[in-house]
Amino acid sequence: MASLTNLDPATLKRRSFIYRKLAAAGAEFAEVNGGAVAMRYPERRESEALTARRMALADLSVLPHGGFKGRGTVEWLTSQGVQIGTDSNKAHVQAGGELAARLAPTEIFLLDSLQGTGRLIGKLNNAWQWAPSAPRPQQGYPTPRQDSHAWFMVSGEKSAEMFAKICGIDLRPRHCPIGTIAQTSAAKMNAIIIRADLGSTLAFHLLADIASAEYLWTCVEDAIAEYDGGIVGLAALRSLQA
Amino acid sequence: MAGMNRLPAPFGTWIDRTEKISFTFEGKEIEGFAGDTIASALLANGQTMISRSFKYHRPRSVLTMAGQDSNTLVQVGDEPNCLADKRRIEPGLAVEGQNYVGSFEDDKGRFTELVERFLPVGFYYRTFHEQKKSWKAWEPIIRRMAGLGKADLKADFHHSYYDKQYLFADVAVIGGGPAGMAAALGAAEGGAEVILVDEGAEPGGSLWYARFNFDGTHGSLTRAELAAAINGRRNIRVLSNAVCTGLFADNWLPVIKDNRLYKLRAKSVVVATGSIEQPSVFRNNDLPGVMFASAAQRLIRLYGVKPGSRAVILAANDDAYGAALEMLDAGIPVAAMVDLRADVPNTEMTQAVRRAGVEIIAGHAIQEAIAGPGKTRITGAVAAPVAGDGKLGNGGRNLACDLILMSVGYSPAAHLLHHAGTKFAYDTSSHMYRPDSVPAHVFAAGSVNQAYALDAVLADGRRAGWLAARDAGYSSGAEPPAPADLGCDGVTHPWPIFPHDKGMDFVDFDEDLKYKDLINGIADGFDNVELLKRYSTVGMGPSQGKHSAVAAVRIVARETGESLNRMSVTTQRPPYTPEKFAHMAGRVFEPERRTAMHHRHLELGAQMMPAGVWWRPAYYGQKSARDQAIRDEVNAVRSNVGLIDVSTLGGLDVRGPDAAELLNRMYTFAYAKQQIGRCRYVLMTDNAGVITDDGVAVRFHDEHFYVTATTSGVDAVYRQMLWWNAQWRLDVDVANVTAAYAGVNIAGPKSREVLKRVCEGVDLSAQAFPYMGAATAEVAGIPARIMRVGFVGELGYEIHVPASQGEALWDALMAAGGQEGISPFGVEAQRVLRLEKGHIIVSQDTDGLTSVWEADMAWAVAKTKPFFVGGRSAEIQAKKPLTRKLVGFTLANDGDPCPEECHLVLQGEEIVGRVTSAVRSPSLNKVVGLAYVHPSDGEPGKQFEIKVDGGRRITGVVTKYPFYDPDNKRQEM
Repeated sequence: MASLTNLDPATLKRRSFIYRKLAAAGAEFAEVNGGAVAMRYPERRESEALTARRMALADLSVLPHGGFKGRGTVEWLTSQGVQIGTDSNKAHVQAGGELAARLAPTEIFLLDSLQGTGRLIGKLNNAWQWAPSAPRPQQGYPTPRQDSHAWFMVSGEKSAEMFAKICGIDLRPRHCPIGTIAQTSAAKMNAIIIRADLGSTLAFHLLADIASAEYLWTCVEDAIAEYDGGIVGLAALRSLQA
Repeated sequence: MAGMNRLPAPFGTWIDRTEKISFTFEGKEIEGFAGDTIASALLANGQTMISRSFKYHRPRSVLTMAGQDSNTLVQVGDEPNCLADKRRIEPGLAVEGQNYVGSFEDDKGRFTELVERFLPVGFYYRTFHEQKKSWKAWEPIIRRMAGLGKADLKADFHHSYYDKQYLFADVAVIGGGPAGMAAALGAAEGGAEVILVDEGAEPGGSLWYARFNFDGTHGSLTRAELAAAINGRRNIRVLSNAVCTGLFADNWLPVIKDNRLYKLRAKSVVVATGSIEQPSVFRNNDLPGVMFASAAQRLIRLYGVKPGSRAVILAANDDAYGAALEMLDAGIPVAAMVDLRADVPNTEMTQAVRRAGVEIIAGHAIQEAIAGPGKTRITGAVAAPVAGDGKLGNGGRNLACDLILMSVGYSPAAHLLHHAGTKFAYDTSSHMYRPDSVPAHVFAAGSVNQAYALDAVLADGRRAGWLAARDAGYSSGAEPPAPADLGCDGVTHPWPIFPHDKGMDFVDFDEDLKYKDLINGIADGFDNVELLKRYSTVGMGPSQGKHSAVAAVRIVARETGESLNRMSVTTQRPPYTPEKFAHMAGRVFEPERRTAMHHRHLELGAQMMPAGVWWRPAYYGQKSARDQAIRDEVNAVRSNVGLIDVSTLGGLDVRGPDAAELLNRMYTFAYAKQQIGRCRYVLMTDNAGVITDDGVAVRFHDEHFYVTATTSGVDAVYRQMLWWNAQWRLDVDVANVTAAYAGVNIAGPKSREVLKRVCEGVDLSAQAFPYMGAATAEVAGIPARIMRVGFVGELGYEIHVPASQGEALWDALMAAGGQEGISPFGVEAQRVLRLEKGHIIVSQDTDGLTSVWEADMAWAVAKTKPFFVGGRSAEIQAKKPLTRKLVGFTLANDGDPCPEECHLVLQGEEIVGRVTSAVRSPSLNKVVGLAYVHPSDGEPGKQFEIKVDGGRRITGVVTKYPFYDPDNKRQEM
């Protein structure tokens, strides 16, 4: 359960790679998943929800995310109650608001809902065990997505236009239905972009190499400036979903 | 009024008279209006000369007023070669002329014209082909004369913000004149998403300034209708002040607007780029006061500027008469129409001009423009009767004027169609090239497609738009018919070229090429238009032949007797207009990778160094104390405890029933029997038996290995595993988890004590956790993979944790080691430490040919495995004698300088090897290193020569390694 104190992210073990940038921007942090997420920016003059509807960027890196890959992944996850479609490059919303993103026939990337409880991902990670001996059933293997990928969210009506400055995929709503996954290049690095609107607001998850989190954040921050964009906290994104 | 030549409203639709703007030209203050270009403001203020020509430094001025020529290139501040007829004025702009010696008004370079006979066509070829030595004398002169604007290399250089953006369209329409506007509407009506690209401030093209009927209203009414229709369509996006500079494969179009390069991808493209007015060739046709009729109309209509005070119009079509009516509306008397045609047709326009009392001199051409003082403006024209193609008869008339307008024809602005691979045919009726076969998904409309009558242009545009939309998968209604009569006959004269005995009759304004230059080039044997281009440089200037390519083809055809039907203009290549390098480059994206502990290193005063795209701490401390800092770090590890961030090292999770088998095949060693909880060295070779990478494999489960690799090699190792397994189909999954784990190596005799304070769940004693052991446990409450490995040769533990908890791990270990004075150490110290132990670094101590035998690593090759990648090659290599051997060495005389990497190893005068690593060891107080030597010198005790800086030769002694702690007691304690 998140607790609202003005937390110093460095007092927790799990730290976003860009927590310093967020703190410098005036973020108020809250604890989620053993780390500090930027919940809001109290000094902001404009309502963050308004910014989020127009053009915004948020860091969700400490929220639970994970994945599985290898032979048997989809079968095993399905047996655990995860809803996964037949096509790759499609993300499927789960009952608790989590997202199961099918990157390939045997690779699933899991994103928690914005509530950050990690219930589904935790349950799956606990359920996955090595069978005691060979021959072992094919059930895929867990992948350390929580720590391999930084997780940003881009929201607002100008999102697709902004992405066009760093990515060559046509992400305009008419051409990119909700749940579409683009495994592509953004700002010259590998990125996974998933359309996941917040209520009626166009929005995308942006997942990329955690080691380049600062670099990518700087690029996107620069790109949103043209559209009068700003960084927002998790609370603003949650409010758009309501 | 901001200028003596300003016309009152309603002239000047693009200027805002409520906003005055001041700037300077050559230090002189000039006042204009918002919306003015530099050229329009200068002309408004009576400044006629705007530039100096390339070779002869002749005064030049407005020619097209459309950015199609190079006669008005100016320097704006530190930016050279700006198009004055396109660049809008801004307050405080400092504009200068270009290409002059001394002052702009009194340019000493103009005397070059006096020696023009000594600078014939093909000057470079003639002079340097046979007299190469003369280049020494000529080079400084040519370098001074070359170029136009100036780049100040000593300026305080600053980056400006340029970037790029992708755009997507079903139909892209290039050109926002009447054809383009009609095409955009034709496409949008079918539901296609349309992007209309136009270089003007607003779409309209010639509708803004040309005269389509005698009272001049048709153009503006048509434009207003089309603009309203376009604005009413949500599926048309207009990009104004934007130029499409090329048409590449699969309809990829670069569009430049301000500081942005748009990368536009369209399913189909309509090219409606119009046509380019063509000049007449006569003596002094380049001087200020000679311009195209359309240029004068643009000046009057768009900018409210009188182009002159008395005009003579050289005519060969109806547009000339429209221009005449425009002059009269602006209060500029027209001394005469000099019409190339013997029979001037009776049209609405010609009748209106006659009614206005303007004399029409039929069957005449301009023989010469009379130059005024300093050639800064013409003062008259000589009209002579046409006696044949290019021939003039006697009985010329002098006509006083300061303005000659040329309206003798057009050539399609077909560059983008050329880029797309369109074939053109010469139309002997219209005397122009027309598109003959246009590639798929590309459509031509308007005057680029030979449609000149306005009704035909609109119909042609609408039809092209409809076809383009259908091509993109959208259609509505019936296919619009093609216009019956394009109106292209009688628009272009086939031979408006009248050479003069005294020359200065320019075919190419950019290159100062006269008619005789082309004739002489052809006579020299360069009788193909592509050869003539390179020999004479016709069409090679900044405007790339927009006004000379067609004339050149006509001249070559006439001189060689070749038919125009079988010729073409020279190959048109992108870009259509000049592009800045900044547009190509910006925005620069240079990804970099940082470890979780990056900021801690900075806080500790680390000097960071790049390792591929990663940043790593090289050492901690001031640059000025670098060597001492590194020595101190080495000493700290040897005698106390140090901590290094090793997060960048590659990490691969290899899991599955065939995990061990995969490792067996990928690496030289054996892994099937590797015990759980143990580490084993991995050495990778390629198919040729060359060492490509190394690391450690840790077995955490019978079906799970965690394999490390080098920082720069891991991505290739991962790719190789996937590539090979695509063939082998082993039941194994490989995941590149490099970035997912942050790692540290805590090393030194006190490392165990420090680690014990924060490590739970594992016995760290030497018995329970021996050297090359591994375990999973919690360190400071963080789940960790712990390995006892010995790269630096001391008791040490490599600890890998989830990356997001890497900084917390670092903090915990630094705190835990506080009482010992734990010391962070960097890559430089690590390199010294490993060298003292004789550990190789792949691709520093190995190269693109190093085999396991050369590297003395036979111990790492399993003897009984049936296969590993490179194994067969290694077998073959083993049977051959070595040509070199990697050895450890010290110096015979320790007072000698420490050799550097790549210092050569010699036997006599023959190069037999090189030093790969060397350092003056802080731990041993002497030089130690690794080097390739001749195999005959490969035994311990043998001496060999090293050539160091300055050609000096010193003596190395082959020494067994490890140099430090040869019994490995310290790392195995």
